[in-house]
Amino acid sequence: MLQQPFEISGLALLAPTLLLGVTALVLFLIDSIAPEESSSALLSGVTVTGSLAALAAAGAILVTTGGDPQDLYGGQLVVDGMSLFFTFIFTSVTALVALASYDYLEEFRYKAEFHSLTVLAATGMTLMASSNSLATAFISLELASLPSYALVAFLKNNRGSVEAGLKYFLIGALSSAVFAYGISLVYGVTGHLQFNQVAENLGAAGDGLVGVLGVGILMIIGGFAFKTASVPFHWWAPEAYEGAPAPVSAFLSSASKAAGFVIAFRVFTVAFPQATAVDLGIDWVLAFQVLALVTMTLGNFAAATQENVKRMLAYSSIGHAGYVLIALGALTGSADQALVLGAGMLHLVVYGFMNTGAFLFIALVEYWGVGRTFEDYNGLGKQAPVACVAMTVFLFSLAGLPIGGGFLSKIFLILAAANAATIGTYVLAFALVVNSALSLFYYSRVVKAMWIEDPVTDLEVGGYPTGLYAAIVVAAVVTVLLLPGLGLFSGVAFDAAASMIQ
Amino acid sequence: MVPIQYYMMLSAALFCIGVFGILTRRNALMFLMSVELMLNAANINLVAFSFQNGNLTGQVFSLFTMALAAAEVAVGIGIILVLYRNFSDVDVTKATTMRW
Repeated sequence: MLQQPFEISGLALLAPTLLLGVTALVLFLIDSIAPEESSSALLSGVTVTGSLAALAAAGAILVTTGGDPQDLYGGQLVVDGMSLFFTFIFTSVTALVALASYDYLEEFRYKAEFHSLTVLAATGMTLMASSNSLATAFISLELASLPSYALVAFLKNNRGSVEAGLKYFLIGALSSAVFAYGISLVYGVTGHLQFNQVAENLGAAGDGLVGVLGVGILMIIGGFAFKTASVPFHWWAPEAYEGAPAPVSAFLSSASKAAGFVIAFRVFTVAFPQATAVDLGIDWVLAFQVLALVTMTLGNFAAATQENVKRMLAYSSIGHAGYVLIALGALTGSADQALVLGAGMLHLVVYGFMNTGAFLFIALVEYWGVGRTFEDYNGLGKQAPVACVAMTVFLFSLAGLPIGGGFLSKIFLILAAANAATIGTYVLAFALVVNSALSLFYYSRVVKAMWIEDPVTDLEVGGYPTGLYAAIVVAAVVTVLLLPGLGLFSGVAFDAAASMIQ
Repeated sequence: MVPIQYYMMLSAALFCIGVFGILTRRNALMFLMSVELMLNAANINLVAFSFQNGNLTGQVFSLFTMALAAAEVAVGIGIILVLYRNFSDVDVTKATTMRW
């Protein structure tokens, strides 16, 4: 068999992934040269530079290729508008988290390991966005997950962090085994792992193997449900986000969730096209409609009963996973598929900024040593007005008020659900509106505590850390700018979705 | 040639033993072993289907799965070690500092 010529263009197209990988190795190198005197500024600086370089590379590739799909390594990977769009989310969240970690990690040891694990997880996420075969999807999903387990358990003398890491790891290991078994069943029926070849051979299930294929697809949905923190594999999320260091919660709840969705988008539109699947009798759209409804309702109701702000945000993150699941639940035959997927992508990009910002505010509060319940936030607005204005922006944008991009992206999701025009999607659109109204209740409890209530004790915030403030302010500015800016962005998202589907 | 159904029965049985172990065992190490069983059930499927379909994709993928299982155990043992240091036990039901 002839040796394949080495593809130079492949390396250039994978520049964002490679830059992130190299950044992780550089961090290890710095640490191995001077392990004891690791400077927070240097390590954060390298991470932010590396992520921004990857971001710039993704932008350059998007401009030069115009988002046309480029197959790499015999079709195992594909670089297209979709993968580059999500690379943009992952790298900006990584940069924000690294910037905030500059202050947060000041007192900790093992700073270099923290940063390199974050960047390694981001590398895995960018690979997830480009994977075009169930094999690369599984491997890159693990590359994103394994560093995350270690990151959640990073505070190894803190019982909460260790417990969170354990639960995250146990459910992650279980769901990856379920995912692998699902892949093996799909492979058994179709004989292929590459998405387009799986789609071509789905018909082979016609002769009595529909059950096997259906179980396989259900198990694959389980794998994605874990990564996106949706029902039924959502139990780890409140524990992991509450126990983990706040910058890690920010990273996981924004970037990791987006990574789970991009791979789900690609698998279900390319490998199991809705029309073929329905012909076989496997209506995965219905499964996603049920999951979306249950996930958003459960997340929001649970969030409304919380006393701990971080845990409230964790449940609200489950609720938002439910909103984005609409993008899969509305992929019915009658829907404009590019509009539906594009709406999900836009919500994820806005969510990437507003949710990262909200968790970084929690990081700031943890840095000050203020308590974790709503009452502990009383009167923070007078002490730290800038950060609290930013937090107000994040929370109202998460609720969907027209103060940040969250308003427009929810409108897009409702339009997408209405466009699909089936009873199920109308129910989803209605549930989205009801749940957003409910979410306003618990988000405004934080706002009320910060601005209106008087502090119970003499509250004195300890300093105004530069890195954390910078990250929060940048996230707030981008969240607000995305309200007018989403109009510009939406074209890119809809084109990317359209080019993946055809 | 052994019919493919036999392999599927074997792997399904192995998978169910794994699930049963996860649901009943409290020891974190036992939990890890049960996950290994489930991953190996997937491997049996992959290799058997690879033979059935006449291509090597499945066999190659099962090699990847094994390597990933090893990596997962390495991270998992690390987490179980810090669990033991903090809670003086590897019982997964003991770690309950957070409650909803």
